[in-house]
Amino acid sequence: MDIINQVEQLFIQNKIDIFLGYKELDGHLIPHGFTPDNLDELKELKVSENRYSLEKIATHLSEKDPDLKIGIIARDCNQRALNLLYTWKQLKPENIEIVNVNCCPSPLKPHPDCSYLEPKQSGEFKKEHGIDYNAEPDSLMETFNNNERFSRWMYEFNKCIKCYGCRNICPVCFCTECSLEHASLIEPGTLPAEVPIFHLVRATHMAGRCIDCGLCEEACPSHIPLRLLYREVNDIVSDVFDYKPGEGMEKSPFTIIGDDVVLEPKPMDFQIQGEK
Amino acid sequence: MGCKFVPAVCSYCGTGCGILFEVIDGKINSTIPLKSHPVNQGKLCIKGWNLHEYINSYMRLKTPLIKEDGTFQKATWDEAINHTATELNRIKQRFGPDSIGVLVSAKITNEENYLAQKFTRAVIGTNNVDHCARL
Ligand code: SF4
Ligand code: SF4
Ligand code: SF4
Ligand code: SF4
Repeated sequence: MDIINQVEQLFIQNKIDIFLGYKELDGHLIPHGFTPDNLDELKELKVSENRYSLEKIATHLSEKDPDLKIGIIARDCNQRALNLLYTWKQLKPENIEIVNVNCCPSPLKPHPDCSYLEPKQSGEFKKEHGIDYNAEPDSLMETFNNNERFSRWMYEFNKCIKCYGCRNICPVCFCTECSLEHASLIEPGTLPAEVPIFHLVRATHMAGRCIDCGLCEEACPSHIPLRLLYREVNDIVSDVFDYKPGEGMEKSPFTIIGDDVVLEPKPMDFQIQGEK
Repeated sequence: MGCKFVPAVCSYCGTGCGILFEVIDGKINSTIPLKSHPVNQGKLCIKGWNLHEYINSYMRLKTPLIKEDGTFQKATWDEAINHTATELNRIKQRFGPDSIGVLVSAKITNEENYLAQKFTRAVIGTNNVDHCARL
């Protein structure tokens, strides 16, 4: 059954109120919420090679309506992110319907549907000058000594323009108050970025949390190999706690904020003061 | 509940990064980079990431304001344009076209900037036209 029929069935059976997929607009494949009141539009539902964090959009929707039933196109990375968001109580698994799609190359489909696995467009420069995007932490640890690794990472971090894009795009960064904007740790609104504190604070937060989707690295204007950094961090978590974020519904060993995490809307609505 | 994404171009500087506004139930909720945009290729600076904030800001000006007796008063577009035209004419006649300068902005389009310099040179009659990026 093709994906459009699958979604149509979900609507007919009243299993979902909205479906998050992609549609084409002016030549761009962009995320879109399909609704049952416009079933005709479903014909335009597509899978996109450009990955957007649809599960992050789902958390925005359930901030507004916690009981909304959401369908969602999911690659493996989306699925891992959803698992993690369930365990951190940011989404309710009973409210989410998943339609799985191909991502990594497989015998069925040799061509990957993933911007990350496409020929490494931005990788050429990197191959010559820096750490390869897809490098494994282990090989990095073996090839370079401590000093070499330290100066390489400091070189990478120093390129940071403090855009907060790595945090903003990350499906598992959902804190109401973010340490990266907490004046006593990292002062907001000043440049250059606090190197290496800014990046190490985020790296420690990604321990037991980063589901290795690579969206942060794709969004980093300074081409800092963030995915590699968080892979290294989570290799340690895996060694010590035998925990791989997003792999299942098991809670992170770092779950210290307890069971009562509430879905507080982030301060994006600017109606607090003054007129509507 | 409705959720759609509206492509636009960041209005904070002349780079012109492609963005998507996340619109939930008719209200802009956040800004994300447009991954397939040739200029920024899915990346933004901190200004672009926060583009939605001024749209919903309570401080946003929604009507023109004219300063009367030292305080700003709300006005209609017709009133504001008339007032500006009358004043520009008065100043030009009394002090000459070179007493007027026009400062344009990176936050408007190329075409609008072109029109602004045309207006300055051909209508007002001065070469006093400059751009905020040179301030
Ligand atoms: S996990 Fe850390 S970086 Fe991410 S939102 Fe929370 S405080 Fe910020
Ligand atoms: S790879 Fe980056 S964007 Fe993805 S979960 Fe990890 S930190 Fe977040
Ligand atoms: S995305 Fe890159 S440049 Fe932006 S804050 Fe993160 S590390 Fe720095
Ligand atoms: S995101 Fe930043 S660099 Fe891009 S157009 Fe906006 S202000 Fe300019």
